Amino acid sequence: MPTHDHYVIIGNGPAGNAAAFTLRENDPDAAITIISHENICFYSKPKLVKYLAGKVDEDALAVRTMDEYRRRHIRLRLGQTVAHIDPDSQSLHLSHMEKVHYTDLIIASGARARLLPSMKPYADCLTFVTEFNDTRGLRKKIADGSRFFIFGGDLVAFKFLKMLTDMGKQVTLLLYPRAFWPHRLTKDMQDAIVKNLAPTGADILADDDLDTIVQDQGKYCVTTKQGVRTQADLVFSFNGLIPEVDFARGCGLEIDHGILVDETMRTSLEHIFACGSCAQIYNPDINTYTTSIGWPNAQVQGKVAGLNLLGEHHKVRPAGRKYFDLEGVKIKTSWWEDLEKGKDT
Amino acid sequence: MKKNGLYSKEEKIFQDKNKLYRAHSVKQIAYSTDPRDFGQVAKSIPCQEACPARTNIPGYIRCINEKRYGRAYELNRGANIMPGVLGRICSRPCETACRHGAPDNGVSVGICHLKRACADLKSPMHRIIEGLYAPTGKSVAVVGSGPAGLAAAHDLAILGHRPVIFESMEKPGGMLMYGIPEFRLPRDLLMTEINNILRLGVELKTSQAVGTHITLETLTQEFDAVVVAAGCTKPRVLEVDGEDLENVYNGLEFMKAVNAGETPVVGNTVAVIGAGFTAVDCARSAIRLGAQQVAMHIRKTMDDMRIDETEKHEARFEGIGVESLVQPVKILGENGKVTGIQFVRTRIEKTGTPPFKKSVPIADSEFFIPCDSVIAALGQAPDVHDVSDAFTGLDKDSPATGVKGVFAAGDFVTGSTDVISAIAGGRRTALAVDLYLTDMERKKTVVRLESHATTDRPRSYDFIDRVPMNTIAMDQRLADHTKEVETGFDPDQALEESQRCYLCNLKYEIDPLRCIYCSACIDVAPKDCIKMVETIPVNADGTYGRYVQTGQWNQVVSITIDNEACIRCGQCYDVCPMDCISVTKTELIQMDMDE
Repeated sequence: MPTHDHYVIIGNGPAGNAAAFTLRENDPDAAITIISHENICFYSKPKLVKYLAGKVDEDALAVRTMDEYRRRHIRLRLGQTVAHIDPDSQSLHLSHMEKVHYTDLIIASGARARLLPSMKPYADCLTFVTEFNDTRGLRKKIADGSRFFIFGGDLVAFKFLKMLTDMGKQVTLLLYPRAFWPHRLTKDMQDAIVKNLAPTGADILADDDLDTIVQDQGKYCVTTKQGVRTQADLVFSFNGLIPEVDFARGCGLEIDHGILVDETMRTSLEHIFACGSCAQIYNPDINTYTTSIGWPNAQVQGKVAGLNLLGEHHKVRPAGRKYFDLEGVKIKTSWWEDLEKGKDT
Repeated sequence: MKKNGLYSKEEKIFQDKNKLYRAHSVKQIAYSTDPRDFGQVAKSIPCQEACPARTNIPGYIRCINEKRYGRAYELNRGANIMPGVLGRICSRPCETACRHGAPDNGVSVGICHLKRACADLKSPMHRIIEGLYAPTGKSVAVVGSGPAGLAAAHDLAILGHRPVIFESMEKPGGMLMYGIPEFRLPRDLLMTEINNILRLGVELKTSQAVGTHITLETLTQEFDAVVVAAGCTKPRVLEVDGEDLENVYNGLEFMKAVNAGETPVVGNTVAVIGAGFTAVDCARSAIRLGAQQVAMHIRKTMDDMRIDETEKHEARFEGIGVESLVQPVKILGENGKVTGIQFVRTRIEKTGTPPFKKSVPIADSEFFIPCDSVIAALGQAPDVHDVSDAFTGLDKDSPATGVKGVFAAGDFVTGSTDVISAIAGGRRTALAVDLYLTDMERKKTVVRLESHATTDRPRSYDFIDRVPMNTIAMDQRLADHTKEVETGFDPDQALEESQRCYLCNLKYEIDPLRCIYCSACIDVAPKDCIKMVETIPVNADGTYGRYVQTGQWNQVVSITIDNEACIRCGQCYDVCPMDCISVTKTELIQMDMDE
């Protein structure tokens, strides 16, 4: 029997897509819309580094094709940004002044690059690599440039550093001990990372901090607190991710670091679910709240959100405590990602 | 905006038009006590409505825009008495309510930073203006020289009475002097604004604790009235095991010690418990005392913290972490000293009517964090019985105490709030005391309506980014613990930020008798602010209710500008072919009853 339900999903990543496809499998008649501020179909973020290195092209990033959405009657609104949510009228206000009504909403807006408070004055000088939009035009700049400065030290930072040095670029890394948020790298951990990165040929700075970044004619002069001065074509910041939830603030949703959800992915408001990296959930197995959850768990959460939206009562099952390998340094995390299953996704 | 001393072509044309309009316009001024006008002001000017002292915010921001800093300062002082102080430490309810911060409109105006700007940038020749009433011969004892006591004493002096303040500490200012760190509020500035009050003939007696050095009964005998504004001094405690260990501090005592120049032992790792301004002040002070890791631990979420975004940013900038959704269970120690805290995770639950949020411990979620010291900044409660046992009828909504001739003001009666609420409370109590002493209501609030021939700002101002506050670098903060972190706006920054204000005190109206329903205004409006209305209901209190809109032309009784949604861009005003849109400046003012 046809319905007039309109399920709207904010976000076009693994959680959002899992939710949309789950909804379609279980409700063939409802209208389903995915809204994403990016202008590209569902793609693989982990492959962005390879894309930047010129090893794969844009097509190789795609996880799903446009045709898959067409066949399932899932409407994609790409390049559109949600400004805020009005739960009373069950509508979304888009930044181009359009209103989109929903019967149920799934927020799967993911995460964005963390800008350190101390770096706020230099935000215009920093380059972030977290989504495809960031990398447009960056491939050529990397190919043309010769010297790069990396500030931070999260998982992507080291992968990115190796990519640049493999391309024959000169790289300076300023290791920031709190880049792998929320963990703080100890002195021993930093020493081990510096040692393990030595073969790359990059200049590694530790026990130091950024002082100033000066932009001049498209180049950057970076000075550290210890007085080290480096010229660079681009300055990259890799200091972890934070949930993308600003548009949801003020609408009545309970938000801490991310949108608070229970184990069924329900938020504090009726008809609104959240899943993936934008959601914050208590994990009883590891006795803490968590936000960044990785690709496989995002998919699981998206599926659970989709099923529960349709009236079921599934609970997400955390994968358990795991270790991250940060350049030879094993860090016990409170995150959910199962690295073994998550590889190459 | 002005770049290199030049204005853009659009701004130049706008300014020329502005001057022309002003030269040829005849101002019509009216004063209203119609509830519909009070209702309109309350809804249209959300910043002023949110300010407990009802500061004329658009008015003073416009003055800053015209570089009339002294006038802006006086507009502030007329409402909140200490603009230089509040421009630094106000909790900024106005910014939360600012229309520029509404969804789709961007970020709220830096109202507080502009308040500070007018205090900083006013001429050294600036004179304060006070309209003094004739002396009444009545004397009033004011217990406490915190914000509420100072505000009450200020207004009582203006009204012709002789206030005498009894302060238990060595210096006046209460929480301003002893609770807030100097790096947020320089003491010379604080004393200047306190002295502006004392200069009105207010006598200050320090180290005079009522209840210890002098009794309330004596005061009631020696004075015609008494105002008790003793604040909140009794710290709330954690009520967990281990609270008596060494290196466990309560927030206010910790700040008092820091502000007295002492250096409490905090160690390397500090756990602050609390989510308010005092908790942040304690955390930032601990960093300056040499702590390497400082984290605030809060029972609810980051969004529930009772501090503004600027404070959150400064705390993060100084490396202070936040552990949210946790609740302390016990403080652990060895040899009498703190070794860590056992917490339990919490979740948020909504209960009650109307629903309010509370944090609920999650079963079996205990965990331990090591630390060297604990600062519990959970707020304070009034210590009523320290002052007198006579109070039986304290009501937070009334200045009366149940004791004849004795009134109460500020946090002492409301419980712990913020400085601007305490000042507003002090002023309300002063009026109640004045009525008691003179049996006359001497002031009334009216709405001043003034025709205004221009929209006062071009549309381009809507797209200016908020101007960040200038601050000193981290090494300077650590080198001098008392050095003020925020350094204020320069005149160009103040001008730029002032341009962002929508000037919501300008009311836009369509004259239905001249409107030809061409809908040109609707076509150009960037917001959903011009509405086809079927009826405008009137509420029980006489104010207008929400417009009842219609999409049917045959039911339209008026095309109306919704001043709650209007961003005062002036597009409708410019495009109207019938010139039927008028602009009126609205202002809440205090007048004498016999005026």
